[in-house]
Amino acid sequence: MPEGAGPGLRSGQAEPASPARVGLAERLTEQRYRLFPDHVVGEILAKGWVDNATPFAFLLIVLALFGSLIPDFFSGASLVASARQLGEFGCVVIGQTIVLVGGGIDLSVGSSFALGNIVALMCINLAGLPAWAAFGCTLAASGAVGLLNGVLVGYLRLRAFLTTLVTLIIVRAVVDVLLLHEAVPISMGNSNSAVWDWLGDATVAGVPFSLIVWLVLIVGGHIILSRTRPGWHVMAVGGSRRSAHNAGISVRRTVCATYVIAGLLTGLSAFLFAARLGSTGSETGSGLELSVLTAAILGGNSLGGGRGSMAKALMGSITVLAITNGVVRLGLHAGAGPLVLGLFLLLAIVVDVRWLKNRHKILSKVYISPAYQRLAPPASAAADAGTPYAMNDKLADVEVLGLDRVDGPEDVIFDRNDHMYTGSRHGDIHRFLAPDYTRHEVFAHIGGFPLGMAFDRDDNLLVCVGGMGLYRVRPDRVVEKVTDETNRSRLSINDDTRLRLADDLDIAPDGKIYFSEATTRYEMNTWPVDALEARGNGRLICYDPARGSTRTILRGLRFPNGICLAHDGQSFLFAQTWACSISRYWIAGPKAGTTELVIANLPGHPDNINRASDGTYWLALVGMRSPVVDLSLRMPGFRRRMARRVAADEWLYPNINIGCVVKIDDGGQVLDALWDRHGRNHPMITSMREHRGYLYLGGILNNRVGRYRIPGADPDWTGIGSYWGARA
Amino acid sequence: MSRNLNQERIVLAITILLFAFFALTLPGFLTVQNVLTLLRSVSVLGILGVGMAIVVVGRGIDLAIVAIMAVSVALTLDQSAHGVPLGLATLMGFGFAVGCGVVSGLLIAYAEVPAIFATLAMAAIIAGFGQSRLLSLSEIYVTPASEPLGWIGTGRVLGVPSPVLILAAVALAGFVLLRATKLGRFIYAIGDNPRAAHVTGVPVRPIIVLQFALSAITAFLAGLITATSVSSMNTRIVDSTLIYDIILVVVIGGIGLSGGKGGIRNVIVGTLLIGVLQNGMTILDTPYDEQSIIKSVILLFAIVADSIVNPRDEQTAQQGDI
Amino acid sequence: MRLRHFLTALAAFGLTLAAASAQTADQYKGKTVAFVPVALGYDLEDGWSAILKHQADKLGYTYEVRNPNLNSDVGAQAISQLITEKPTVLVIQNPDVQVYSRLIKKAEKAGIHVIQINMKSVAPSDYFVGADYVQLGQQAADMMVQKCGAGSGKSGKIAIVQGVLTAAASVLQMQGIDAVLSKHPDIKVVSNQAADWDSSKARAIMQTVVQQNPDLCGVVGFWDSMDVGTGSAIREAGKAAQVFLVTSGGGSDTACTNIDNGTFGAELSYDVPRQGSDMNKDILAAMTAGPAPDADKVTQITPLKVLSKETIGTTGCWTLKQLQAAAG
Repeated sequence: MPEGAGPGLRSGQAEPASPARVGLAERLTEQRYRLFPDHVVGEILAKGWVDNATPFAFLLIVLALFGSLIPDFFSGASLVASARQLGEFGCVVIGQTIVLVGGGIDLSVGSSFALGNIVALMCINLAGLPAWAAFGCTLAASGAVGLLNGVLVGYLRLRAFLTTLVTLIIVRAVVDVLLLHEAVPISMGNSNSAVWDWLGDATVAGVPFSLIVWLVLIVGGHIILSRTRPGWHVMAVGGSRRSAHNAGISVRRTVCATYVIAGLLTGLSAFLFAARLGSTGSETGSGLELSVLTAAILGGNSLGGGRGSMAKALMGSITVLAITNGVVRLGLHAGAGPLVLGLFLLLAIVVDVRWLKNRHKILSKVYISPAYQRLAPPASAAADAGTPYAMNDKLADVEVLGLDRVDGPEDVIFDRNDHMYTGSRHGDIHRFLAPDYTRHEVFAHIGGFPLGMAFDRDDNLLVCVGGMGLYRVRPDRVVEKVTDETNRSRLSINDDTRLRLADDLDIAPDGKIYFSEATTRYEMNTWPVDALEARGNGRLICYDPARGSTRTILRGLRFPNGICLAHDGQSFLFAQTWACSISRYWIAGPKAGTTELVIANLPGHPDNINRASDGTYWLALVGMRSPVVDLSLRMPGFRRRMARRVAADEWLYPNINIGCVVKIDDGGQVLDALWDRHGRNHPMITSMREHRGYLYLGGILNNRVGRYRIPGADPDWTGIGSYWGARA
Repeated sequence: MSRNLNQERIVLAITILLFAFFALTLPGFLTVQNVLTLLRSVSVLGILGVGMAIVVVGRGIDLAIVAIMAVSVALTLDQSAHGVPLGLATLMGFGFAVGCGVVSGLLIAYAEVPAIFATLAMAAIIAGFGQSRLLSLSEIYVTPASEPLGWIGTGRVLGVPSPVLILAAVALAGFVLLRATKLGRFIYAIGDNPRAAHVTGVPVRPIIVLQFALSAITAFLAGLITATSVSSMNTRIVDSTLIYDIILVVVIGGIGLSGGKGGIRNVIVGTLLIGVLQNGMTILDTPYDEQSIIKSVILLFAIVADSIVNPRDEQTAQQGDI
Repeated sequence: MRLRHFLTALAAFGLTLAAASAQTADQYKGKTVAFVPVALGYDLEDGWSAILKHQADKLGYTYEVRNPNLNSDVGAQAISQLITEKPTVLVIQNPDVQVYSRLIKKAEKAGIHVIQINMKSVAPSDYFVGADYVQLGQQAADMMVQKCGAGSGKSGKIAIVQGVLTAAASVLQMQGIDAVLSKHPDIKVVSNQAADWDSSKARAIMQTVVQQNPDLCGVVGFWDSMDVGTGSAIREAGKAAQVFLVTSGGGSDTACTNIDNGTFGAELSYDVPRQGSDMNKDILAAMTAGPAPDADKVTQITPLKVLSKETIGTTGCWTLKQLQAAAG
């Protein structure tokens, strides 16, 4: 600690001897932003399940309303009576939901239900079939209607609305003809099936059988829709039919399947209904398509596809049934039922439309939630300031390599054969061939944005890929995923298991890979916005190849960026860009597992750290601090107002255009600084790598790699050698 | 070939073929009296179809048209039966119809609720409100007090039943509105692309409200014909499949539910097909229920034929167009 | 004159009430009568309901009505619900013979007295009040034989417009009609279809039938509210004078109006005020019968009245307003 923090603090706070006076108001602000987690609001709104908020609210309102108007609305016996009906109704709603999710609509369910009902009764009461055979016939009848719809809409690609409208009429007419001939015999007939009689009044442990069937279907449907390939196909087809088609999904078969499923579920429901009431009439199932559609839509499923879930079907079914039954129980006049149902449907849709329209607007306004941060004034970097950072022009004449051949070389690294590797914005890793680095090739294509790189003991190139995670490129160019997820933090609302922005890595002597993830709240294309928050959104993660496990070791870091194994192999140095500090994480020795501050209050935002040949380290400062940004960090309210009211292009960002390379030692002492004062070749530097007496410079927004001859450096020193020794 | 064979022509061809077939094989089909009966039987459907077409062309749909028809006319009959002067009662019914249409329109245009849901909910609300608050019974009968309206449904001019004449007048008015007025052009523009129409300066929202008001007016008219020819208005007609028949008449003739396509001619073609089918089968002594099977199977063939002749392209099909 | 008829009915009420008031009024406090009709909004059901409510208000017990609105699933749900609430008496109008049968048994087992009104279920209950539909069908068929049969010089072609096919009213009435027509081969049924109590459907069916059979002689309709549609189709075709329509119903002013204007030839009426007072008597009996429902089944058959141009002058019709006013 005395070696670590002391000099660091000295170098940082040498200039502003008197700590700035902090007023009471600012202290209150600090506490308020420390205690109240503003970012939670935005993260909740960004969650998928928030979509269910309005239907859920409606469900609660409906239940509360009828619960208060009707005594014993929630009594056990009364619930059992409703639950039986709910199970039957709910099955049809599940079918409709699946069709809606797939981008269709099925209006024929009412007729299909009536057909299933009469077929079941004919089987039982007239043909005297056993219950299982009747069940098969019923499913076959309703499934056939579904298949007809499926073939017409899926394979012949007719319009779903019109087609199912016509099948609604056809099947209804068929049912009417059947009724004319069979209704009276059916009503006079009797079943001699014990199973059938049991089904009509069945409960399992006090719960009606149909409700159990329904709940099983809901759970199963949820798993299929959200966790399996067929379910994803349905979602994909509903979300964008064209993209699904182009992605190779059999759109026609998928669409057809949704209608068949809807038909089968309708048949199941009709069978349970027939067992319960044992009667058939022309009014059976009429208007069912409307109440089913109402339930599906009230639950929040979108017409037109792609947005829907079993949870929505569940909520919609309960809401609609509570309303219809509640109104009947209130004993209101004819028409009151539809009136109330219609009003609720209208209200729900108005709210839902507003919600869908404004959700992303609200989200974009509240997602950015700045926190409080106070940085002491930094050491001056003025040319005549006399500080180690003083501006010079040492980089003015750097040699330029690979100009316009690379786009965004965040990091640069060399293999044992002196070939140079860099990433590019297009998802490639380029290799510039030694000795003159004029010839170049695409070494491997990864896909994401390659950021920090390191070679392991076996000459595999390990790469942090923005948006993808940690990857390995073998010498034979095979790209392998190392890890793309870590353990989830217990209390975070954002699911932080996936790696969003793995930034830089280094490898411990035992082979464990330590890497930084800059932020868990933003993606590769929005990372600068993280600077506005100045909250510890980042973390340090360790991948253990021996066990294949990935664990988060440090959380709450302010944009952790460069990470470098110290020369003695006992600790890692890592930079926090927005905190303007360098810290050390011990992996061995008496302090293993602890963290200490090495340099606080840098004059710029630190990026990558790499070893230097003389036992010290190179540190890139991607941009220099400005007093305005420093002041704004102490005013979170100001930054929040800015993010809400000002166009994103006009926001106040930290400077990430003008920076330098500094040299630091293990104690945190700043030894030297390298500048391109006029900004001709290398104004922006995110990384630098020493190799055989030269320093190679990378920059995430640059179109080149710079090469600077280090005066007096060991011309044989290589990074890979310093880690893994000379080649065996 | 496929360019010439659109759905309208396929349906027209089927209609003409059926007409010719029935005329040759069925005695008593091709008589003036029977053709008038044929037209008369589908006049209400045709009038409602015209109202629906105006809405559908503008990329909407009015599922409340039957509810408006039933409740507004029942209101008129009920009020006149309870002593309100017939003129005032008629005005009340008319005002109620237009009011309902305007409310639907406002919900769709200003609250931006999709038309299918706004009108679905409005249908339930109008029917429910009518049955539970406005009307004394589910079925309202024509009483002597409202007898003067009788000619609307039962009158004849030069031997032609008045419903047929009213259908002709409504169709003509709809045709002129859509083809010859600025408003009509605007409706097509909105149906084609509402956003583009809005950007171009078309007053999209007021026109949407107006469309629904117009369809409500045709509903009231159709309701008067229905009520006066049956001598009652049964509000349970809301629960029947009439609304589906209306949509079929509109769509079968070739008006796309995605808007901007087709016109009154398509409605007439669709209506004639239904009329010829119904009438022919009646003469063939087909029972009522079997008629609807045959009718709907032929409708299904018409749309299948269209999709085979004009297949939808996976790459250019509109997302969410059901 | 219609009023006089109505007053007679009221007098019948009065008698019941006088008998009832001999007992203590408190006896009925806290008891409940629930009514589940096929649908409200028709003169028939609204008429029954008004009479049931009238006695409830007088004697201080609770009266509730649940409206399934022609949907038997909703009705079944309402009855299941009522069974859990345990009213003293449950009045049920069955939409068909099968659908509520299980629930009726269940209700009686739960100790609820069930009165079935007019349309029976296959499950018998303690009380039944209603018309004898077999007899009603026979009378209607007899009229057809008389108007269109061999001696009349007419074609002998008749049509039948049923309600919901599986409703007791349709099933039993058809039995009656079949029994008569089997003895009269001169009568030919050219159409026998179901209009499901819906006047628009009845009208659509009849339009077709009249067109197919220009020499139609008579029609038997199964319910007056529905047959307004049947009649208007006949009138529309200009056959009102030729086709004789006999229907049946509760005998409200609708019937009289339509008989007056010639839409109906005759109506066989099962007198709603009479049925209402019969039900009220049963309710009182059930309430005083103690906890367990009687094993004996009580059946009260409503005598039929023939309403026609000739008779409406004397018997008259009731209006809902009168019943409601009396109840109010």
